[in-house]
Amino acid sequence: MEIPYFAQDTPGKSVIMLGNEAIARGILEAGTIIGAGYPGTPSSEILKTLAKMENYFPHLKLEWSTNEKVALEIAIAGSMSKVRSVACMKHVGVNVAADAFMTIAYAGARGGLVLVSADDPNLYSSQNEQDNRFYGLHGLVPVFEPSTPQEAKDMIKYAFEFSEKYETIVLFRTTTRLNHGRGNVLLGEIEEPQKEFGFDWDRERWVCVPSHSRVNREKLLNRMERISNDVNESELNSLFISKKNINGTKYGFLSAGIPYAHLKDALSYLEIEDKVSILKLGIVYPFPRKRIIELLHSVDKLLIVEELEPIFETMVKKIAFEEGFSDKIEIHGKDILPQKFEFPAELIIEKISEFLNIEFDQMEIPENNLNLPPRLPMLCPGCSHRATFYAINQVEKKLKKQFINSSDIGCYTLGVYKPLAAIDVQICMGGSIGMANGFSKLYGKEKPLLAIIGDSTFFHTGVPGLINAVYNQNDMLIVILDNRSTSMTGFQDNPGTGMKITEEPGTRVILEDLVKGCGVPEKNIWVEDSNNIDKMIEKLEEAIEAKGVRVFISRHICSLLEMSEFKTKNISPPTYNIDNDECTGCQICINQFGCPAIIFDEELKKAQIDQSLCRGCGVCTYVCPQEAIYEEEI
Amino acid sequence: MYTQSEEIPREISKKYKSFNILSVGVGGDGVISATQILAWAAMKQGYKVRTAETHGMAQRGGSVSSFTRFGTHAEGPLIPKGLTDILLAFEASEALRYADYVGYKTHIIINNRFVYPSGVTRKMNYPNLEEIVEYLQKITPEIYVINATELAKETGNPRTLNVVMLGFVSGLNLLPINRKLLQENILDLVPRKAKEVNKIAFQLGIDKARKIRGI
Repeated sequence: MEIPYFAQDTPGKSVIMLGNEAIARGILEAGTIIGAGYPGTPSSEILKTLAKMENYFPHLKLEWSTNEKVALEIAIAGSMSKVRSVACMKHVGVNVAADAFMTIAYAGARGGLVLVSADDPNLYSSQNEQDNRFYGLHGLVPVFEPSTPQEAKDMIKYAFEFSEKYETIVLFRTTTRLNHGRGNVLLGEIEEPQKEFGFDWDRERWVCVPSHSRVNREKLLNRMERISNDVNESELNSLFISKKNINGTKYGFLSAGIPYAHLKDALSYLEIEDKVSILKLGIVYPFPRKRIIELLHSVDKLLIVEELEPIFETMVKKIAFEEGFSDKIEIHGKDILPQKFEFPAELIIEKISEFLNIEFDQMEIPENNLNLPPRLPMLCPGCSHRATFYAINQVEKKLKKQFINSSDIGCYTLGVYKPLAAIDVQICMGGSIGMANGFSKLYGKEKPLLAIIGDSTFFHTGVPGLINAVYNQNDMLIVILDNRSTSMTGFQDNPGTGMKITEEPGTRVILEDLVKGCGVPEKNIWVEDSNNIDKMIEKLEEAIEAKGVRVFISRHICSLLEMSEFKTKNISPPTYNIDNDECTGCQICINQFGCPAIIFDEELKKAQIDQSLCRGCGVCTYVCPQEAIYEEEI
Repeated sequence: MYTQSEEIPREISKKYKSFNILSVGVGGDGVISATQILAWAAMKQGYKVRTAETHGMAQRGGSVSSFTRFGTHAEGPLIPKGLTDILLAFEASEALRYADYVGYKTHIIINNRFVYPSGVTRKMNYPNLEEIVEYLQKITPEIYVINATELAKETGNPRTLNVVMLGFVSGLNLLPINRKLLQENILDLVPRKAKEVNKIAFQLGIDKARKIRGI
């Protein structure tokens, strides 16, 4: 088999890489040994690509960890053992890892230590759009940010070297459009990994008790002072000073990351690239004070082009104040460009034209009177989560009690949308059980409280919430949606599947044993196949009516995986159809169940099955009160 | 609806210095693979390339969009609204959803298949193909409709939809990418078992374009 392009040892070869592949390539080229992470959009492909490289570079030691904190701790241990190590996660994952991050910032690094954070401006697949550059300021940790896949590869390779030189962890911040965008990359040389390594015995450094951490704190401040000085000379921060002006005014820009790439395009489009000064930051923290002062000296008006929070803006204004520029130059940022969401490319052109006071002919879009409903993401046809939510809704109706359904992060969060509307709260990973603990304090006696959580999420941060519930006797029903996959992020394995990232078998953690071990008595544990609706409703009712901390494991493999299993085994799933004579057009299948494969024909006034979408799960046969849906005989 | 296109491939705009393709559709249409193919072919043609794609949550039956930019100057991955050279709509109503990316010089390719969002029924006031084309014609006259889903089914593998679309746009001479180079990259990037069927799909797209152009 041909070696995939990202794993070829062919320096100088030009390839197209996804940003995340380029990051993985840079990690490989740096001679890294340890890589750990937890899947999360837009970061997941980094570790996945490394896992594919592992076939050719067996020195790579990789894993999907149970959560981001564990992943970072694994990388820290690698660094303490003088090997290059990386932890990869999405932006909110860094919150989970923050406890380890904030203190390893003090103790520093030995082997190159890099934390990759994939931020998500515009919330394409996230619950918030937090700006993780702040973690650099918060922890006093250098932050790198690339603008292109080529830069991503080269910069992360250098980040390991930088980490070793200054003995600090480096935060490598990326955003969705970098992670999930392709570009040209010239492959570089793959460095040899450290052949000899071993634990660096140094208790005063690695044991972060107060007496040691006071010393580490001093070292941290000294280290940051040295780095702050050196970043002025770094090639990653490039300053272009233009002697020209536009209508008598000298303009300047400061930017980084993806907004910098779009700024470059905008300046080229407006044909003013050589007429303005630009400071491009590759190391976005600490700030290159001298370069900023140079820029301030060269312009009359400065626009800071940064997505999300005004971090550069605040810093530049502080420096301008301290250096006496306040009355001499105008500094703009969030007064011109928005603080929310990503910058569309045309917005940058438009706002820069406004800032430069130059003409830009905007196109008039003709008025559109056609109504196009949004196409929201939804649970797939045949998804077992739909079956579970349907069953929960049926029990809620039957008992005539309103449940509070806390939910978690995963495909099943899509159960919030109509017609299921089966989710009432969702904040963060593992939060379903945590919040149900709180609701239990207030409504434990009167309201059924459900915490609905996926298998991988339960292992991630659900378990401490369960132990808390058992210990504090906070009554609730925890519904674990066990579809044997971390589906939303691309079907990664987890402790429940027992397969490792390298596709070798690990040890499977059995959910039933785990919850029993956490103190849930056997009589309070129910297990059922999610698609077996009649049984589901019966058992769920029993579980909801019972007292104490209860766990209901609703188990059925992800329908996408089931389809591919069928395909490999050459099994054709059953075909379902609707008997037009039996269908009364009541639309219960559409208004209460909502499988995308069932559509309502307005002419016939009957429901129909779209055979191109139907996956043959047969759950709708339980849903139809007329029993109009039937399995076709072959 | 159709206008004759010239025989020579289109050139890259001198002003923006890049060629901008917006591919839209719904999850499963092969939009990301089409983007990957275009990116590799453009690189081999000697261009600088940037793309931006929809992965993750948006793929669960949601609307999918993918930006491909290449030329001498393509730094950022996003296309400024109005500066799209080609809008490739793998699903007909998605062409309308991204109408604000269409400019006076955009060529629009629409696959005539509809996928209705969940909860929408056919007769429910949902825009039809004629209405969509009529609206888009207010912006640009260059609109081409193709039965790409049907053609893909003809090959025996409906997943070749994206390659039929690429064959069509190449057959219309709308791409500044050599056709043979494009085909080579398609065959490089599709699974080994699917090479033959994709070759057929690419040719079906080209033939359809030739028919429209009256060759």
